[in-house]
Amino acid sequence: MRDSANRLLMVLAAVVAVLVIAIVVVSVVLIAAGSSGGSSASPAKSNSGPPAAAGNAFRLGGSDPLTLDPAQSFDVDSARYIVEIFGGLVQLDKNLKVIPDIAERWDVSQPDAQGQVTYTFHLRKDVAFSRSHRRVTAADFKYSWERALNPKTNSPVADTYLGDIVGAHAYEDGQASDVSGIKVVDDSTLQVTIKQAEPYFLDKLTYTVADVVNKDQVEKNPRGWTLAPDGTGPFILAKYDVGQQLILEANSSYHLGKPAVPEVRFDLAGGGGLTQYQAGEVDITGVGINDIESIRDPNNPLHQQFQESTALGVFYLAFNTQVAPFDDPKVREAFALAVDRDKIASVVLKDIAKPADRILPPGMPLRSDAVKGLSYDPARAKQLLQESRYNGKLPRLQLYTSGAGANADVETQAIVQQLKDNLGVDIEIQQVEPATFLQDAKRGRYAMWVAGWSADYPDPEDFLDVLFYSKSKQNDFRYSNAQVDDLLVRARTEQDKAKREQLYAQAEQLIVNDAPVAPLTYDADNALVKPYVKGFFLPGMIIPWLRYISIQRG
Amino acid sequence: MTTAEAALDAVAPSRPPASQWRMALRRLLRKRIAASALCLILIFYGVGVLAPLIAPHSYDQIDLNHTFAGPSLRHPLGTDRLGRDVLSRVIWASRTTVVVTVATLVTGGLVLGVGLGLLAGYKGGGWDTITMRVGDVFLALPGLLMLIMISATLRPRWDGWMTHFYGWPIIGGTLKSGASDYFLVFGVLSLFSWVGMARVIRSQVFALRQTEYVQAAVAMGAGTGHVVWRHLLPNVSNLIVVVLSASLASVAGSEIALTWLGVGVRPPTPSFGQLLFDGAGLSNLRTHPNLLLVPAGVLVVLFLSFNLLGDAVNDVLNPRTG
Amino acid sequence: MQGLAPYVVRRLLWAIPVLFAVSVVTFALGRYGPGDPIQVRAPRADPQTIERIREHQGLNDPVPVQYMRWLGRFLRGDFGDSYRFPDRTVKSLILPRLKITIQLNVVALMVVFGLGIPLGVWAATRRGSWQDPLTIGTFLLFSAVPTVVAIPLLQWLFALKLGWFPATGWSGLLSKAAVLPIIALSVGGIAGVARFMRATTLEVLGQEFVRVARAKGLPESAVLRRHVSRNALLPMVTVIGLSLVGVLEGSFFVETLFGIPGIGAFVFQEVQGRDYDVLMAITLIIATAYIVANVVVDLSYAWIDPRIRLGESAAA
Repeated sequence: MRDSANRLLMVLAAVVAVLVIAIVVVSVVLIAAGSSGGSSASPAKSNSGPPAAAGNAFRLGGSDPLTLDPAQSFDVDSARYIVEIFGGLVQLDKNLKVIPDIAERWDVSQPDAQGQVTYTFHLRKDVAFSRSHRRVTAADFKYSWERALNPKTNSPVADTYLGDIVGAHAYEDGQASDVSGIKVVDDSTLQVTIKQAEPYFLDKLTYTVADVVNKDQVEKNPRGWTLAPDGTGPFILAKYDVGQQLILEANSSYHLGKPAVPEVRFDLAGGGGLTQYQAGEVDITGVGINDIESIRDPNNPLHQQFQESTALGVFYLAFNTQVAPFDDPKVREAFALAVDRDKIASVVLKDIAKPADRILPPGMPLRSDAVKGLSYDPARAKQLLQESRYNGKLPRLQLYTSGAGANADVETQAIVQQLKDNLGVDIEIQQVEPATFLQDAKRGRYAMWVAGWSADYPDPEDFLDVLFYSKSKQNDFRYSNAQVDDLLVRARTEQDKAKREQLYAQAEQLIVNDAPVAPLTYDADNALVKPYVKGFFLPGMIIPWLRYISIQRG
Repeated sequence: MTTAEAALDAVAPSRPPASQWRMALRRLLRKRIAASALCLILIFYGVGVLAPLIAPHSYDQIDLNHTFAGPSLRHPLGTDRLGRDVLSRVIWASRTTVVVTVATLVTGGLVLGVGLGLLAGYKGGGWDTITMRVGDVFLALPGLLMLIMISATLRPRWDGWMTHFYGWPIIGGTLKSGASDYFLVFGVLSLFSWVGMARVIRSQVFALRQTEYVQAAVAMGAGTGHVVWRHLLPNVSNLIVVVLSASLASVAGSEIALTWLGVGVRPPTPSFGQLLFDGAGLSNLRTHPNLLLVPAGVLVVLFLSFNLLGDAVNDVLNPRTG
Repeated sequence: MQGLAPYVVRRLLWAIPVLFAVSVVTFALGRYGPGDPIQVRAPRADPQTIERIREHQGLNDPVPVQYMRWLGRFLRGDFGDSYRFPDRTVKSLILPRLKITIQLNVVALMVVFGLGIPLGVWAATRRGSWQDPLTIGTFLLFSAVPTVVAIPLLQWLFALKLGWFPATGWSGLLSKAAVLPIIALSVGGIAGVARFMRATTLEVLGQEFVRVARAKGLPESAVLRRHVSRNALLPMVTVIGLSLVGVLEGSFFVETLFGIPGIGAFVFQEVQGRDYDVLMAITLIIATAYIVANVVVDLSYAWIDPRIRLGESAAA
């Protein structure tokens, strides 16, 4: 007995010893790793902070990027960092206008006999990669774009943004060794030929996939180069602790002017939003639905620090126009008129999104005021449903929504309730996991679902043509209207802005009337901003905005 | 489960006749704490079963004019973000817990667990090896991760398959009203909850098989069914009750966890997992803590009762501690 | 102690088919289930592009072929690449997160046993006094409440009402932000261990040799120290071994709710992103940990008490 008891104690002692050693080793390793990067500070410390860095650093919340490779990025969380670290020929300014970045200026040719248009970009001579300080030349662009289009890169975006360049498809299919439409004239001149005139081609080039990457770096370490990416953007990735923090440092030789903040710190773990903001751990934060009312109250001291603005995105109820009962436009219109979007926006969403009565969101260039939006008209909706050929014999209806977590989509539930009250239809909500939702919506498995679209580049083409052109790959509604198609095709190449606006207005009006989608809400952004943060604005899209910010304490 | 197993390893074979059950129940009820725990659980299950009759409102009656309302006569526990009655939602959520726990204990615990345990213990040999080795694999699989993967990946297939039955009388209507989620959830839970029960039963049956009276019964030509039904089952029944009552809490907790993660019971069918998720967001907590405190309070009491009952049943029925 | 080496060899050999079965099940679940990692990552990519990427990454090959390819790489020590994070390897995604999870859990376990064992013994010595039902009730209460319920309550009370700790966030183990997660991870365990310890202590206290020791006039504290604690601790070894694995599951919710960048919070997003190879790696790590913990428990059991024959104790 005694012997076994002693052995037992030894085992227990060993367990405790192992635990203690493990913890000591792990913390030593981590602290060492942390301090070598210059910051293992706890939040308490970073408040008072080392005076040099944290005092003027701009601090905000964020999420982990899925990738820092411009050719791979397809999501907001990645693009947010990539636009600051990398740069391309052109970029979007505060007002979402295309402005020069590495290209100083450019000439656009008239369409030739085959309708092809050539852009000649004149590159600045003073642009260098931020880490290697090597000068950026036209050949770097040819390399970067061909790399993005190369099937080996597995870029999900390259074809969408660069596929219109002459010879891009041949290169993607392996029939050509380079993209014939991208020509390096000399170190600072790049010629790009596209298949047909595209007034929004420069807008497309602001997307991250068109950014320039450093060939030497990428080829030397193809699997790990994004850990210390060598871009041309206003900031340099200084430190990235997965799930904890991401630190950007100002690129002092940035060709459009050195950013005013020396350092930007993204807290990737916080997630506390308002709590962290009030504790002084972040300098700006978005406000969620539950706090928005108290913040909007003018008596709240935080009200002074609050701003909100619409963003280029729309959320809608989508119909498959090829299946019953939504193959009858009257049913679609009835559903569209039976939703009280004002009430949903104001009561359910507390105005963190704005009611949408048409497709193009406010703030979109070339958005004509001539388009007459949808109204809320339950009486007319009921009448339309009775006139439809499905009167009294509607099939079983399921509304699909994409959802992760038990986050019951309250907006959808409110819509279903309104449709029931106004039209007497019973609709079941089916919440589907995002991974399968997207696939099934594309394959036409749903008759009705809720979805949204947000701008990739600020042009109506990105909404109307991409979503509603009958042959578009994103037209999940299977919507087809010859008149709309004709207007959209004409608008694509129309060089005159006023005429283009008018063409899009006509197309949008037809689409709104046909109701392949029932618009619900427009996206909106909001932020609480500390008074010492100067130059903040809500751009409505992902653009390189951090260089406009400065911190001026007391 | 493992602690229960360890404790039960030493249980000697005994045959509780019917009167002994009554005695056990009386002893259980004599413990004041156990009796009140049992009482609370019965009330909870009663409320769950009678939810359609008791709930003052429907669980999905949306009233956009009265969102986030405080307690009132009409809504004793207030309303949520869509103006739905919190009390009614809690009552309907109990129903989900009731259905899932009962169904899982019956399929996973009784059918799979006891069935496989008897099979392995009585037949022995190859049957025993296969059952126990499969059990090993199930134990080595990270349960929660597997539950998530299964319900995430199989759900669309499952849904598609279920729609075939929508036309059927009675069953069709139940399926449409969210029961297909119940089936998936308790099916998945059962798959992972049988191993503990099967092991306990197996080792007990192993011991019983060696006893004289079972050997005598076999020698006298009694069929397998007869031996199992008359000699084995009655002798493991107290174990079954102990294990079942000990696993009530973990089954109920698993459903809540799955739903909380969005892979369990889906809205609009209410579940505590969802009520917690809705109420637990930090900003919700700051402004409307009642949305969390009400369901959390009910659950704390329920789980405490589960554990108290489990302990008491173990005391009464487990000869070693009793 | 006889047959130790063959026993260990047998157990470890048995681990191979178990791990194989685990990997096959996980692999099949992922690949045969609907959902596509490329589509999730690039929701707006056109079907041809997605098809091309799938083809290129070998996702269109028959599943058994894909499995063999995965197995081949795995046996060479290569965990593969992530589909969701296109420029990262599985290893680089998992290791930093695993480190955080292990740190957190090791501390939590130390707290669990450091507080649970003495509390349990203390409660046992107070049997019969008014403190007994009180402590046992408290233990029950804390071990009863599921983590999902407990964490929001903790956040509400300590972060929002009292403002003692931040509600979420992570800045290393040695910070205020780690306090609530550790409490959340260990409270249930402390109560469970204490309950178990109380029960075994009471049992030992009732045994012959303790009564003899008392009869000899040994002071109560010495009885506890010399006899009771040692014998009552024996069953604890099993509990320790198994908790090593059990807490991993607890950290799933703790990490998600507190925003801690560990494996637990990560795994759910990875299921949704259908990041097959990452999921394979995580599943196998946990399964291996489970098997190893069990072997170690068996061995230490046999070593502590030679009367126990290997292979019969702690069948789990």
